[in-house]
Amino acid sequence: MKREHHRTLPPPNQTAYGAVGSSSAGKGKMWEENDDELLAVLGYNVKASDMNEVAQKLEHLEEVMGQAQEDGLTHLASESVHYNPSDLSSWLESMISELNPLPDFENPSSLPSLPPPPPINDSFFEDSNSEYDLKAIPGKALYPQFPPPNKRLKPTSASPSSSLSIDSVRPMVLVDSQENGVRLVHTLMACAEAVQRDDVKLAEALVKQIDLLAVSQAGAMRKVAAYFAEALARRIYRLYPQDSVFSDLLQMYFYETCPYLKFAHFTANQAILEAFSNKKRVHVIDFSMKQGMQWPALIQALALRPGGPPTFRLTGIGPPSHDNSDHLQEVGWKLAQLAETIHVEFEYRGFVANSLADLDASMLDLREGEAVAVNSVFELHKLLSRTGGIEKVLSAVKEMKPQIVTVVEQEANHNGPVFLDRFTEALHYYSTLFDSLEGCGGGSGLPSPSAVSNQDKAMTEMYLGRQICNVVACDGPYRVERHETLSQWRTRFGSSGFEPVHLGSNAFKQASMLLALFNGGDGYKVEENGGCLTLGWHTRPLIATSAWKLS
Amino acid sequence: MVQLLEIGLANVELNLVSDKEKRLKFCINDHMDILIEILQRLDGRSLGSAACVCRLWQHITQSDMLWEHLCFHHVSPRLPSGVRPVVAALGGYRRLYMLCLRPVLSRLGLARQLSGGGGHQEVVRRVWTRHLVELSLSLFCVDYYERLGSGGGGGGRVGDASASSLMFLCKPVNV
Repeated sequence: MKREHHRTLPPPNQTAYGAVGSSSAGKGKMWEENDDELLAVLGYNVKASDMNEVAQKLEHLEEVMGQAQEDGLTHLASESVHYNPSDLSSWLESMISELNPLPDFENPSSLPSLPPPPPINDSFFEDSNSEYDLKAIPGKALYPQFPPPNKRLKPTSASPSSSLSIDSVRPMVLVDSQENGVRLVHTLMACAEAVQRDDVKLAEALVKQIDLLAVSQAGAMRKVAAYFAEALARRIYRLYPQDSVFSDLLQMYFYETCPYLKFAHFTANQAILEAFSNKKRVHVIDFSMKQGMQWPALIQALALRPGGPPTFRLTGIGPPSHDNSDHLQEVGWKLAQLAETIHVEFEYRGFVANSLADLDASMLDLREGEAVAVNSVFELHKLLSRTGGIEKVLSAVKEMKPQIVTVVEQEANHNGPVFLDRFTEALHYYSTLFDSLEGCGGGSGLPSPSAVSNQDKAMTEMYLGRQICNVVACDGPYRVERHETLSQWRTRFGSSGFEPVHLGSNAFKQASMLLALFNGGDGYKVEENGGCLTLGWHTRPLIATSAWKLS
Repeated sequence: MVQLLEIGLANVELNLVSDKEKRLKFCINDHMDILIEILQRLDGRSLGSAACVCRLWQHITQSDMLWEHLCFHHVSPRLPSGVRPVVAALGGYRRLYMLCLRPVLSRLGLARQLSGGGGHQEVVRRVWTRHLVELSLSLFCVDYYERLGSGGGGGGRVGDASASSLMFLCKPVNV
């Protein structure tokens, strides 16, 4: 979609909409406020009723600039200060009066008195209409900062001087586009609210609005808005997403491009390693087998532990695969190869189950004298979609008599009863997550770009997009992404007969070191929270690792 | 005094005469043990350059023992003896250094230089902690595991050999 930089000046007697073209939309809809919608998308506040006047002023300005000496123009470029350029009308006024020392003959009473500079950064946030504390969202996702000069300028920053086709004038001021970001968020909220009230017509209109506004954003915010808009649309039109194919594959990209899964694996492994010290025979039951990426590191750590490796048994549990291949067995075979290479006695068993609640401790062939560990990464929350699911699984886990249960979950509450609350939480959460991804791909920490390609980032975003879709569009048993916070899980585990095991400083140090390796590593934060470790982006924790044992 | 001087001069003359012959006869390549001692003291980059000198040097620098020395010479307390067979089985010390240790060190060293008072990177390297070794070994093992996958089974990955879980450690490409 090519952005037009040269807008034709509307002749004074034509209506605003037809003449002022913006390639991003065909016919704009009349919005509730008086601002012209199309220009507003680009950041200019022009009342629809004033369009004629603005057009006249533009013509006048062109005239005056044509007459001005060379110095007059450079004076504008270097010394003048212009305030509030998004208010196109008064901005033009100030430009004209600066170029033309005579009082403006259209407004004989006005003297060029510049308005006091509005506090450009803070005025939006005190908006009394806003119920949402958007300030709480760290990073740049929702408050796009002024782009640093070495980055590509966003299309919205084309100044009106370009429309006057005077090539010698460089763009002098950049349009403040923070307001668009705030508008986008407000529109998303409004749409979600409409959906909750079942106001389909309004919701439809708002969804289209979101698409329009999203175009004016850059980077993380645009992607997040796009995914949320799609999810809302699916909810409105009841086009639920199909079964997730290739989810394993997408999770691999997530594993590779950002540190969350690695953090999860390393911290869980450390807890398991410590629980298994001095045990000669160990058995790990993994609820989240997938590609088995967690286990090579554990096998290697067991191989190198003082006293030599134990015999290591692994039971992997996973959903049935879509293409008839026994992928659980393939993974087991690879792990067996690895274990043989480094001389660790290894035994593997794979279980296919549609849901963890179908499991029973007796199926697992638990043997005497074995130390058992149960591991679950991003799996337990799915059980909350069925009543009694999580209780059944926890009681099965208790029957397994584990030394330790390691649990990694998203640190967010996406399981509230009210749709709007879930939506708001999810918006905050995924905005932060996408924001952290921008750091990964772009290599903000190091001067040169990182080796993570755009394709990998895109696949990672798709993985997260599926989660967004599930949280927003689905309901009932189909909504499986029912994330809950650490404190909620604590209550649940506590009331089911488990007590917490504190993750030690070894895990903390290793995790911190791991994060320092990632591009943008200064944005990630490992924190300790009552014995559990959380990984977050700036001030917001995003995933939490906890460990439990039978009390 | 003069006698000593005369003897000294005579020796020097002898030396000068046979020096040239000696110089022609002395070749470091004939003294592998000295060569190895010297190469052991080099850093990774210099070892790489040394590998380009001649075929013999290339052969020697490919010996894992040199790289093992480079990797873990500074680590204290000493690593358990079980480490060597494991590293060897997973691909060798040279690969461990190139793939994991060097980028890890440079990233962390860089971070420390930026945040701390800017000590020499050599000094920083001596303060290798156990955690760094463990982390590098874990990442190395994960890399081996992934290579297993792309080599024979497939297992759901689209076959892009360059994609690996250690990608985040890869040297950034200067586009």
